[in-house]
Amino acid sequence: MTDNVAIHTQGLTKHYGKVEALVDLDLDIVPGEIFGFLGPNGAGKTTTIRTLMDEIRPTAGTATIVGLDTHQDSVEIRKHIGYIPGDLAMYPNLTGRDTLTYFSNLRGGVDWEYVDALADRLEADLSKKIGDLSTGNRQKVGIIQAFMNKPQVYMMDEPSAGLDPLVQREFQGMMKEAVADGATIFLSSHTLSEVQRVADRVGIIRSGHLVTVEGVQQLRSKAIRRVDLYFDGAPDASLFEPIDGVREVEVRNHHVSLSFDGQMEELLRVATNSQSLTLTDINSQEADLEEIFLTYYREEV
Amino acid sequence: MYANVFTKTMLDRWKPPLIAAVSLGVLMVFGMAVYRGIDVSFWDDLPEAFRSVFGIPEGADVGGLAYGAIYSGYGMLTMAAVALAGGAVSIAGEEKNGTVGLLLDNPVSRTSMALSKAAALFAVTAMAFAVLWLAGITAPLMLDVEIGTMDVNALVLMMFVNALFYGFFAFALSGWTGKSALAAGVSAGVMVVSFIAVGLLPLIDEVAGLAEFFPWYYFSSGDPMLNGISWGDFAILAVGAVTFLVLGVVGVNRRDLRSQSVGTKMIDRLRANPMTHKAAEMLAGTARVSKIWIKTASEHQALLYVIVPVLFLMSVMIGPMYTMMDDTLKSLGDQFPETLLSLFGGGDMSTPEGFYQIEMFGLTIPISILVVTVVIGTAALAGEEKRNTMGLLLANPVRRSTIVLQKTLTMILYAVIVGLAAFLGVAAGSLLGGLGMDMGNIAAACALATLLGLAFGALALALGAATGRTQIASYGAVGAAVVMFIINGFLPLNDSTAAWAKVSPFYYYLSSDPLLTGMHWGHAAVLAGLFLILLVLAIVFFRRRDLRQTG
Repeated sequence: MTDNVAIHTQGLTKHYGKVEALVDLDLDIVPGEIFGFLGPNGAGKTTTIRTLMDEIRPTAGTATIVGLDTHQDSVEIRKHIGYIPGDLAMYPNLTGRDTLTYFSNLRGGVDWEYVDALADRLEADLSKKIGDLSTGNRQKVGIIQAFMNKPQVYMMDEPSAGLDPLVQREFQGMMKEAVADGATIFLSSHTLSEVQRVADRVGIIRSGHLVTVEGVQQLRSKAIRRVDLYFDGAPDASLFEPIDGVREVEVRNHHVSLSFDGQMEELLRVATNSQSLTLTDINSQEADLEEIFLTYYREEV
Repeated sequence: MYANVFTKTMLDRWKPPLIAAVSLGVLMVFGMAVYRGIDVSFWDDLPEAFRSVFGIPEGADVGGLAYGAIYSGYGMLTMAAVALAGGAVSIAGEEKNGTVGLLLDNPVSRTSMALSKAAALFAVTAMAFAVLWLAGITAPLMLDVEIGTMDVNALVLMMFVNALFYGFFAFALSGWTGKSALAAGVSAGVMVVSFIAVGLLPLIDEVAGLAEFFPWYYFSSGDPMLNGISWGDFAILAVGAVTFLVLGVVGVNRRDLRSQSVGTKMIDRLRANPMTHKAAEMLAGTARVSKIWIKTASEHQALLYVIVPVLFLMSVMIGPMYTMMDDTLKSLGDQFPETLLSLFGGGDMSTPEGFYQIEMFGLTIPISILVVTVVIGTAALAGEEKRNTMGLLLANPVRRSTIVLQKTLTMILYAVIVGLAAFLGVAAGSLLGGLGMDMGNIAAACALATLLGLAFGALALALGAATGRTQIASYGAVGAAVVMFIINGFLPLNDSTAAWAKVSPFYYYLSSDPLLTGMHWGHAAVLAGLFLILLVLAIVFFRRRDLRQTG
């Protein structure tokens, strides 16, 4: 089965002493997929990526990338990987171009025309020293570094950190093009709008446990939605709070805003049955990833 | 002054001085125990000049040897080095870490911040010297040794003010420039040069007076152990320290704070200039990053620019100096007891080889090589992890063992360059002074020194490989070197412990008298073997371990 799986983990577990940073992670990510990996700070996202990169070794379980064992065959695997570590650090005394040259020499060369094209797209200045670059500009060099070998698998830990919205958009385009060519992207991110825009599936991790893995569309369709109700008077929040599936009720004057994943019928019944108030308008929209994310995190805290 | 800035700095910085003080205290007790078992009647016959290098007072008995050798010699150098390391990072360290802006975001004036840091530097240094003082006064009681009229209080107090002098010198440079490496480098350079100058200049009548221009003079010349405190000397050092403190505070107020920007170097200007672009690009750009070992070499080149010329010139200088030296001074060397000579590298002042051994091969040459190897060994793995670049480097298809080996290659290359500089310097010095030393023997001694340095560099590498922590790597290797140096110096003084000197790598460096007898291949093999074992361990440790992630 590994033939058709770009990244595969089985019971992948990492403990730091008594701290369970990652517990029993089972994942299969197929070629041509962008897999969004979400979780709050300290949930185990970076631990997962560092384990896959063989920077740290699993306490239990195994993982393969392009069918090769992440520990035994790590050197071979790295020929096929582009990596952006979280909290990217590079050599401050080298220019961007020196840095890329250094890494390309370790890989037996790169296509410099492609590198320059990438630099143009991201508006990266490769002639400046890394130490003199701002966070975002440094990140651009990191991104070029990951893309320049046209790898099969991209491992990216918060790759958009510090990028301005225009460059973020360009970067998202680069990711989409890469998967269109058959590559696989493992994207750990806090930028939920970005994940929503590019990812095919997302995995949500909490306290080292994978909570769910689902397609972005499925997740959004079955997830809670935002409902806005407008009345001719000021309603009381306590009216809506007892309803099954209602969360985060906010009342501002005549406007009630709430998250809802229950039966719409029940909500409407309560909204229209009040004797003192009349429902004047209703607006419901599909939930975005941020809300889904927050829901998963609020549960079982 | 701010109590919390003071406290945090204390908490960040108390370890190195305290560890150094406790180690020196233990060594002192150990040294005194060794001396207690031997006949020291030869002591009074030592030439004045010889003692002056190590600050051992005249008329000292058993106890005096330990105080003099451990405290005012290596101990003083160690404590001053620790103090200046603390001074160098006082202000510039926060700038290097990029935390100074955040700190000064709070309603804290630069003056208050600098004063708080200065107070912390004073306090940790005082704390360390309190430990030394305690060890100094309890050792003779514990060992039932009579120290007569020796003034331990005066010695420790003078050491304290001398350490503060260098600590605040580094503090001033740190405040004035915001560059911690520059502050540490310059102040350490001044300390070493002045220590050596004050030891050497009095040997030659014509230049003896010049010693007064070196600050170390005001610590060592008054023999506080014997004569008590010379308040004049004390005042000079104390006023110096306070002046540096003020300069540091003024310095940090008058300049722009540094961001983490790396600045422009000569080579960068050459690269920017279209005329020189191509040549500079070949040198600094593509060539510099073509291999891991070449990049590593390029990162550490500043080390060579400092160490190679200084070591070379000193090595040359010793030759003519020997010819100029007083003959009576040389003849005194004959009276040295064999046992004592081992403490100073086994040199005999009556021969040029012996003089070179005392002045250069005993301490200066091995330290020069050791600094280079330990710096590279520390930076190789632990340094790259500390800067968080190891993950990115290892994202490329290179084996962890390849990284260790390539960086070791740089270490070997640099050790050989420094060893070669020593060889060329000593050879030139011998020719200039007409001393007729054997070139092959000089080469052998330099080769052994290189191997010795590599062994400790490999220790730093292995410690860094096992832990990923630069502090453990560098302090571990330097600490081991100091302890091993002293073991090799002390254990032979007592017949019952003499055989144990063989546990020290230093034993395999000079015990065969390579300057007189040439290469001892067996000893070379021991040092090379130690280096290889540590290198293999480094690879094994590094391959097994989880990479650290800092920050």
